[in-house]
Amino acid sequence: MEILAVDNISFQYPDMDEYVLDHFSMHVSEGDFVVVCGPSGCGKTTLLRLLKHELAPVGKQSGTITYAGKNVLDYDERTLIEDIGFVFQDPENQIVMDEVMQEIVFGMENLGYSNFEMRKRVAEMVHFFGMEDLLDKKPSELSGGQKQMLNLLSVLLLKPKVLLLDEPTSQLDPVAAKDLIVMLERLNKEMGMTIIIVEHRLEELFAIADQVVMMEKGAITYKGTSREVIESVYTNDDKQFIPYIPSVARLYLSEEKKPIQTGIPLTVKESKAWLASLDSKPKETHEQPIESILEHTKPLLSVKKAYFQYDRYAPLILKNLSLDIHPGEFFALVGGNGSGKTTLLKLCIGMIKAQRGSAKFAGKDIHKLKGKELYERMAYLPQNPQTYFVQDTIEKEMRSVMEQNDIQDGEQEMTNMLALFGIRHLRHRHPYDCSGGELQRAALACMLLAQPDILFVDEPTKGLDPIAKENFANVLKDLHEKGLTIVMVTHDIEFAAKHVERCAMLFDGEVTVDGTPDHLFKGNYFYTTAINRATRLSNRQEVLTLEEAFDQW
Amino acid sequence: MENGIRGYHPYVVFFYYICTGFLVMYFKHPLFLATALIILICVNISHDRGKSLRKWMIPLMVMSLFFMVLNPFLVSRGTNILFYFRGKQVTLEATMYGVVMAIALVSVIVMFVSFNILLNGNKFLYIFSKVLPRTAFLLMLAIRFVPLLKSRFDEIRAVQRVRGTTMTVGTLRQRARNGMYMIQVLLTWSLEEAIQTADSMKARGYGIGKKTSYIPYRMEKRDWGWLATLLVLFSVCIWGGMLGYGKIVIYPELGTLHLYVLDWILFVCMTIILAFPLIVEGRERLRWKY
Repeated sequence: MEILAVDNISFQYPDMDEYVLDHFSMHVSEGDFVVVCGPSGCGKTTLLRLLKHELAPVGKQSGTITYAGKNVLDYDERTLIEDIGFVFQDPENQIVMDEVMQEIVFGMENLGYSNFEMRKRVAEMVHFFGMEDLLDKKPSELSGGQKQMLNLLSVLLLKPKVLLLDEPTSQLDPVAAKDLIVMLERLNKEMGMTIIIVEHRLEELFAIADQVVMMEKGAITYKGTSREVIESVYTNDDKQFIPYIPSVARLYLSEEKKPIQTGIPLTVKESKAWLASLDSKPKETHEQPIESILEHTKPLLSVKKAYFQYDRYAPLILKNLSLDIHPGEFFALVGGNGSGKTTLLKLCIGMIKAQRGSAKFAGKDIHKLKGKELYERMAYLPQNPQTYFVQDTIEKEMRSVMEQNDIQDGEQEMTNMLALFGIRHLRHRHPYDCSGGELQRAALACMLLAQPDILFVDEPTKGLDPIAKENFANVLKDLHEKGLTIVMVTHDIEFAAKHVERCAMLFDGEVTVDGTPDHLFKGNYFYTTAINRATRLSNRQEVLTLEEAFDQW
Repeated sequence: MENGIRGYHPYVVFFYYICTGFLVMYFKHPLFLATALIILICVNISHDRGKSLRKWMIPLMVMSLFFMVLNPFLVSRGTNILFYFRGKQVTLEATMYGVVMAIALVSVIVMFVSFNILLNGNKFLYIFSKVLPRTAFLLMLAIRFVPLLKSRFDEIRAVQRVRGTTMTVGTLRQRARNGMYMIQVLLTWSLEEAIQTADSMKARGYGIGKKTSYIPYRMEKRDWGWLATLLVLFSVCIWGGMLGYGKIVIYPELGTLHLYVLDWILFVCMTIILAFPLIVEGRERLRWKY
């Protein structure tokens, strides 16, 4: 039975010339798992918001949205609130109350449920989610993944028939993201819930989805089952959408001599089966000698035997941690949530001081650096680049940086920077009117005016679509080639494996291992790329990235 | 469900604090007050081994010394003169009054430390929400914002530090200006994020009709039992106090400290009221041992 139907919807925001949605139609049957993807600004979030009537943006709209056979405008508010649930992107901002239990019942309280009904539903669902231990906690004590689970739970208690999710995993680390997706799969399979999810991280979703919709400029570009969509994107060689396709599927389509649609592997298991059918090729067993990565230069940044805890009774976050960064390196630090990545970064930029041990930048204690020594030599791109902007346009921001650094003929320099990062059109924009990727590049452009020696980057791939991610990687690569030292903290293994020179894995407050991406990630169960998991112990040479496979096979 | 006194209904616990607070300021007899103070300290120790009380140790001592020393020297009312200090009389009455006031004040603060542990944030709000539901909800939203703003401000400080905008170096003017910049970023950013919170509230039906409230606590038999006990004992104390028992006359001349039978009865009543958390915790501990 058809549960949601979007017919010929066009939508235009006030004061905008373009249509965000342009004669868009989509039909969803009950129990479907629909994945919607596309570059930022393609109208997918607007679509999702139009489906949730209370959140519908203000603007000019034509066409109809039908829910269970009736136009949504004819429903009373209450039914729609109950039947259509919505989970947002940011785990933190959706939480309203200051206690987990209060937050869980928030929706039910608003709709005036009886105490009996609330207790019944809470007892059932909290158990299903296994969240009993968290009930007495404060939301601020939960991890990102737990917060997002809490949001999902709170929405589910209203017993929605359709669940809408707007990039729910984009702020989560891979483990938490996987947990959330597994939970969605369960809801879909065990309870028959209809799910429409907008997402950039697609490797796992393709395997679950019944319907994939790829959008561009407010219209559908590809639509169909996962395999249909993958095949047509690949045969059209569509540069816009190829990065969205899981790497194993791409490997199959390029390596297999007679690819058939039903044979496209979507999971690691399927890819292993396919790889087993390939003729085996001799593996080069060139066991790369673990060359001395430690160059013979003096390290630019050096952390020695650092210990840190936030409070005398709090657990140690960093334990006996040592790390050297040499000039000109592109270095990534990976590790799970709570492994101390962010704390280490704070130590490196001198926000905190190690209780024991030292952190030195060019021979000086970082915590004591101030003024010129700091802003002329270091740059720090945070997870939320909006924290960088003080002025109300990007141009003004750049001017203030130039003033601070006494840059002569800045006008020329500024134009060059804007061109280098491809953000000339943003010059007079307010920082809050830019997308995440644009904001990142704008912040980088401002920082690099001062020509720093070292750049710290914190989780740069959070919330970026695959194209924006690639653009950002290219920017970093350029900078690296020009001699900038880059230190990146990330949990995006695919990204690190593809672009970085040297990696270190942080576990339990210590750098456990340190080496090239090859050494570090190959052969892992979890901390590795999907393609490595598939090619490990197969007939072919083990590879870490798709490019490597094209290269070596 | 929590154990011991924490498992009791917030109303009962709240009533306990009303009784305690009132009685500590009601009775003026040094024996009553000293006993109350000792019991309240024990109550605190039973909560968390006195961890939070220890932080208050020094201010409490300083304050009580202050009262005990200053009162006799500043106030010269009273009949029994102990000695003269720079030509002013220091009286026994004023000294006694200082001691009584100091103990009462310290007891009240010790009581609030315990109050803070037992009726923390949400239980307190729960009690409030019965009387002022809207205010309580607003308060809840505001409390939720505290950790959010703090973590955001930390992030802003880190970014701006590397940019050379800090509040730790420069002239006072510069520091103030930098501080204002950072607050400005914090506010703009938080407002932007708060839009999402508003959306999330709307998506879950906030404001579409009459709100009910989930009642996480239930009054059980033992809650009613203790509530009744406390009420009876409290009434006895008030009644006795109105007859003048449990109190002493200080000004103009210090009365007798002698305790009559009724005084002893009131004393026992007060002790039982104050020791309510101790009795509950003690019984629980015994049950585990045997």
